[in-house]
Amino acid sequence: MNVIEINQLTKYYGKHRGIENVSFSVDRGEIFGFIGPNGAGKSTTIRALLSLIHPTSGSATIFGKDCIKYGSEIRRDIGYLPSEVFYYEHMKVREVLNYSASFYDNVDYRRIESLSEVMDLDLNKRIDDLSYGNKKKVGIVQGLLHEPRLIILDEPTGGLDPLMQQKFFDLIRAENQNGATVLFSSHILSEVQKLCGRVAIIKDGTIVRVENIRDMQKHNYKKFTLDYKGIIDVHHFNLEGITNLTVNENTLHFLFKGDINRIVERLQGQNLFNLLVEEPTLEEIFMHYYQKEDQP
Amino acid sequence: MNILKQELRMGRKALVAWCISLIAVLSLFMLLYPSISDQLEEFQQVFQSFPIEFQQAAGVADLDLSSILSFYQFALTYVLLAGAIQAMNMGVSVISAEVREKTGDFLFVKPVSRNRVISMKILAVLVQILITNAVVFTTALILVTLLSTDSYDFKLFTLVTMSLLFLQVFFASLGFFVSVFLRRIRTVLPISMGVVIIFYIIHLLNETLKDAKLGLVSPFDYFNLSEITKNMNYDSLNLLLWFVLVGLFIFLTYTLFARKDLPSI
Repeated sequence: MNVIEINQLTKYYGKHRGIENVSFSVDRGEIFGFIGPNGAGKSTTIRALLSLIHPTSGSATIFGKDCIKYGSEIRRDIGYLPSEVFYYEHMKVREVLNYSASFYDNVDYRRIESLSEVMDLDLNKRIDDLSYGNKKKVGIVQGLLHEPRLIILDEPTGGLDPLMQQKFFDLIRAENQNGATVLFSSHILSEVQKLCGRVAIIKDGTIVRVENIRDMQKHNYKKFTLDYKGIIDVHHFNLEGITNLTVNENTLHFLFKGDINRIVERLQGQNLFNLLVEEPTLEEIFMHYYQKEDQP
Repeated sequence: MNILKQELRMGRKALVAWCISLIAVLSLFMLLYPSISDQLEEFQQVFQSFPIEFQQAAGVADLDLSSILSFYQFALTYVLLAGAIQAMNMGVSVISAEVREKTGDFLFVKPVSRNRVISMKILAVLVQILITNAVVFTTALILVTLLSTDSYDFKLFTLVTMSLLFLQVFFASLGFFVSVFLRRIRTVLPISMGVVIIFYIIHLLNETLKDAKLGLVSPFDYFNLSEITKNMNYDSLNLLLWFVLVGLFIFLTYTLFARKDLPSI
C-alpha cells in the first residue's frame, strides 16, 4: 500500500514556479529520500502534503485520503520536523512539548522524557534560551512523541553535531522498524544514502527521476583536488572513470567513478602538496543525470 | 480547548497591562471631579466661550458637566479610544502571530482544522474583551458611586459603559479580517493604532459636520455617548449595522484564512 501518493502536483506562487507536475509515491514502511538543491521545490511539495499550502493543480493523498480535504484527520498520524524550528519563545521546553502532545489522543507522556533523554535535551529550559541545535532537538521530540505512522523530515540535520545526527538517525531507523514510513528531504546526498532505500531527485521544480539507492551507488562519484608541488602531468590521469578534469596552475580537479584503488595506484610517487577527496556537490551529480537524459 | 488555554496564557501579561492602564485613565479623570465640581459653572463658561466648531470637534458642544454621569462620559471617551486600540491589537495579532513568530509550522501541522484554530483564537479574544469590560465596569461603578453626591441613572450608566464592549468587539473583528487579508504583517501596533485613530478622527469630524451618512462610517458614531443620553438607548439602525459588519468580518476571516497559503520560513 502506498502511504503517500503524489499525482501531477503543481504549485505556482503567482507567476513564480514552486513545483511542476510532481508525481511519486512512497510505500508503507520505507524510508524514502527526497533530494535536490535548495529552492528545487522540496519544501513546497512537503508543505502541500501537510496542507500548509494549496496546490495550483494535481493532487496528493496520504493513507489513501486527499491531503487538503482530510487534512486534520490525516495529520493525527504525521510527525513533521521542519528545517527551521520556531516555538513560542516564552515557554519552557516541557510546556511546548506538553502543548504539542495535547493535540493528539492517547499520547504516552513518558515518551517525552525518554526521547528527550536520548537527544540529551533539557526540559526545563526556556525556548528563547536554546541554541539552534537544541531547538532542533525540541523539534525532533515534538515530531515523534505521538508515535506517528508517517514521519516527514524536511532537511532535519542542520544544526545537529555529528554525534546527535547519529543518534537522530538511530531514532528514525528505530521508528521505521516499528512500522513508521519516513519521507526524508535533504540536499546532502551522503545522509540520504545512509538512511534511505529509494530516492526522488528534484530539480527546478520537477522530478528528475526516482531511483533505488543501490543503483545510485553505482554512480558513486568522488571529487578529487590535488595540489602539486611541481609540474602537473595531466596524462598521468588518463584513466577510465575520470571526468570533469580541469587544471588550474598547480591544482588538478576531477571527478572519479569506479575502483578507488586505481586512483591510489596512480598517486604513488606524485609530489603532492595537498590532497582532498570529497563528496561531489549535488549540482555535480545532477550534471550526470542531465547528460544521461540528453542522450537519445 | 488547549488552543484557547494557550492563547489566554500568552495574552495574560498584555491583558493585565491594558486593564491597569484603563483603570488609571478612568480614575485619573474621575478623581478630578470632586475638585472641579464646585467650579463646573465656570468650566462650562470657558468651553462655551470657544468657537462652536472647536467645541464640536473637541466633543464638548453638548457637554453638560452638571451631573456625574455627563462628566463620566467625558472621561469614558478616552477609555473607549484606548480600549478600541487594545481590541484591534488583539484582533490583528492573534492569528498573524503564528506567521510573525514563525510558529505556524508547529500549530497548523497539528490535527486541527484551520476553522477550529480560528474559532479558538476568536474565543480567546472575546474572553479577554469580556474580562477588560468587567474590570472597566466595576472600576467605573465604584468611582461613580463614590464620587456622586446625588443619585444617578443606573440604566444610563450601564448603556454608556457597555458601549466599550460593542466598540471592542467591532475593532477586534475588524482586526481578524485585516490580519488574514494582508499578506504579511510585521508589526501590529502601527496598524491597529492607525485604523482606530482614523475612525476616531472621522467621528470628531462628524461632530462638526453632523452628516448622517458619514455617521455610518465610524463605529465611534454608532455609540455616540451624547445621543445615547438623549435617547436613553442605542440607535437601532446603528446597532443593526454593527451586527452586520461584525458578522461580515468574521465570515471573511474564516473564508479567507481557509484558502490562505502559509508562507514558508
